[in-house]
Amino acid sequence: MIELTSFVKKFGSFTAVNGLDLKIPEGQFFGFLGPNGAGKTTTIKMMTGLYAPTSGSCSINGFDVHKEPVRAKRSFGYVPDQPYLYEKLTGREFMHFVGGLFNLSPAMVRARIEELVDVFEIGHFIDKRGEEYSQGMRQRIVLSSALLHEPRVLIIDEPIVGLDPRSARLVKDTLKQKTREGMTVFMSTHLLEIVEELCDRIVIIKDGRIIHEEVQSETTRRFNGELEAMFLELTR
Amino acid sequence: MRELLLMFNVKALSFLKGTLRWNGQAVLKNLSSIVIFGGFSVGVFFVSRFATEYLLYQAHIGQFLFHRFLSMILYVFFITVNLGNMVVSYSTLYKSQEVSFLMSLPISHAKIFLIKFVDNFFYSSITLSLVGFSVLLGYGSIFDQPWYFYFFSAFFIMLPFMLIAGIVAVLVLMSLIKIATKVGVRWLIVTMVCLYLGAIYVYFRITNPVAMVQEVMKHYPNVNEYFGYLDPPFIQYLPNHWVTEFMYWTINGDPARAIPYFAILFLTMLGLVAFASLMARKFYYKTWVAASDAELMRGPATSLSLKWMEFGRNSFLRPSTDVLIKRDFWMFFREPSQWLHLMLMMILLLIFVVSVGSLDLKLAQPFLQAVSFLVVFMFNGFLVASIALRFVFPLLSLEGDTFWAVRASPLSLSRLYWYKFIAAFSFIVVLAEILVGVSVYLLHRDVMLVGVACTGIFFVATSVISMNLGAGGYFAMFKEKNPIRVSSSQGASLTFLSVMVYLTLVATVLLIPLHEYFEGIIIRNTAVVQWLYGPLLIVGVTSIVVSGIMHGVGLRAVKRDY
Repeated sequence: MIELTSFVKKFGSFTAVNGLDLKIPEGQFFGFLGPNGAGKTTTIKMMTGLYAPTSGSCSINGFDVHKEPVRAKRSFGYVPDQPYLYEKLTGREFMHFVGGLFNLSPAMVRARIEELVDVFEIGHFIDKRGEEYSQGMRQRIVLSSALLHEPRVLIIDEPIVGLDPRSARLVKDTLKQKTREGMTVFMSTHLLEIVEELCDRIVIIKDGRIIHEEVQSETTRRFNGELEAMFLELTR
Repeated sequence: MRELLLMFNVKALSFLKGTLRWNGQAVLKNLSSIVIFGGFSVGVFFVSRFATEYLLYQAHIGQFLFHRFLSMILYVFFITVNLGNMVVSYSTLYKSQEVSFLMSLPISHAKIFLIKFVDNFFYSSITLSLVGFSVLLGYGSIFDQPWYFYFFSAFFIMLPFMLIAGIVAVLVLMSLIKIATKVGVRWLIVTMVCLYLGAIYVYFRITNPVAMVQEVMKHYPNVNEYFGYLDPPFIQYLPNHWVTEFMYWTINGDPARAIPYFAILFLTMLGLVAFASLMARKFYYKTWVAASDAELMRGPATSLSLKWMEFGRNSFLRPSTDVLIKRDFWMFFREPSQWLHLMLMMILLLIFVVSVGSLDLKLAQPFLQAVSFLVVFMFNGFLVASIALRFVFPLLSLEGDTFWAVRASPLSLSRLYWYKFIAAFSFIVVLAEILVGVSVYLLHRDVMLVGVACTGIFFVATSVISMNLGAGGYFAMFKEKNPIRVSSSQGASLTFLSVMVYLTLVATVLLIPLHEYFEGIIIRNTAVVQWLYGPLLIVGVTSIVVSGIMHGVGLRAVKRDY
């Protein structure tokens, strides 16, 4: 579960995130939307400890990310908008590296890699170096690494950008399956059809503030293809 | 021409906007840059002035010999500028994303080459220019030269001299890439390293400073006008010789004999500019494509295989520490610019130790004994500083774009910082102890002094590593992939100059007690080592304070917004 309380980030006189309050329960697929420069990536960077908030707090699975960073970070996985890897390490080595940072034993990492190789179909390139990867390959390696330690929360920034249709389908199905198993997914994206297809709840932000919130259930898909029109109207 | 002006304008604007910011942090950074660069220039000016005065009016070596020494120093300077430009130009002219962008625009390849060459030259030569100009001021002030001597020498002698070194560097690099496509990169790099080392060796073997001093001093004091014949013929074709000949005849008030050297230097520079332009027109794009292809078509990994360093193997260390060590190990040894540079530095260290071993100073004066000890000790400090600048300063920047993976993991950032410190410390301190121990023992054959030197260098190395790691965090450049560019950035130069100031303070603290120590041995025949305890304590306490401050800076920096 994720809880943001009066979350604020200022860069000098510019306020990027302006008092966000959010509570996302366990097992929810949460869509975080907004136009360019609305503060989505800044919010995510604060949630993952890459930025310190100017004020307010964020707790993930009961741990304050900035007061108890090690315990909070142990419980979530993160996929950034730009899937940077070490160019001189192979995908497998990168996954071992990430697993090690989470203090997983080498045997456990090996076993998890074998599972994820099948899930994301990364077997044919996992032993090549990062410098040889396309954007989509990087994306799949990063996504696999984020799931290595079986986090209860996954924070994901633009997960589908750069993926071919087959890989995109794999990722969507996996994420949906994970939420069914109880994982909370916090996803920021510009692809509204994905939001319509996957998200249980959306929030639209603009200028660092929440301007709209909507919930849809598995049985009643409320957006009915009208999310785009609504988004354009709200963010005009 | 319009494109060139536009590009230079954009570059100048981005430089000025980056430098002339008016928030508190930027002003503080600029002020400290001015203080340190200014202080360093003043220091170099006085050292140059003192050295010139000492050699000419106290050691009485005569102007001919003095200018031959100057020529040798300029030769080393030339090689330094040349190598610096070559190393940095690979990333500036061939790997930079800006070049990829410019190549997609309707701008000629020769113009792109020119823009990037100027960028590269200023980037890699600015600190050396400062050193060169300060030396020139110190030198000229001894001979009471008028203001236009400095102006002319700086812009029409030193600048062309450095430009020749820079242009030769990019021409060699362009040719190397062309050849590498045919013979392979590894062999070519090894051959080039051998050739450069060979060139330095042959130069000093032929010019042989010791033999020259002996030959010239036989004829003292009538040396100035008569020993041109001592110059080996090939020396006359080197730019360092032209510079010193120009200086020699200028300070002797004979411009008619100075001007031909200026003319040949300037014409060589113009000729090289024209030649480089032709080469760029013909080969720059081809070599750029070849370099890009080499990156893309890299075959399966053929690097060294060490089973125990492989990821996924059990280790007695915590998994988080184990993977950090393995990551850094593989990233270091899979990046040729890293291990090649280290190898080159190790060869230079070996040459240093062998050279010290062959010195036989037989100095009878306590003061000269103290100075000789300090020179070797400080040179060790300088080597430690150079290694730290090249390999420790970029450590945090090397986390690069992938720092997100560490920052979002449950690894404490303080632990990451201390891991980096311990890794650098354990390598450099061991190296420094061996170096200083061997060199001081070979020079003085005094176990007590070896102990003093080893204790001193421990404190010095601790401070120097802390300064580089802390400042490297403060000036971190996560977007820069090339560690050589990180260690030649403005922040790195500032750190290096601060380290030089620190080393000067250490030398000042040690000088008088060392003099007392040697006086005890030479005059009273008793070694009173207690004289050195106090200064060592001061050096130790300073080291703790400096390290503490710099670790504070580094720890704060590593936790900044990423």
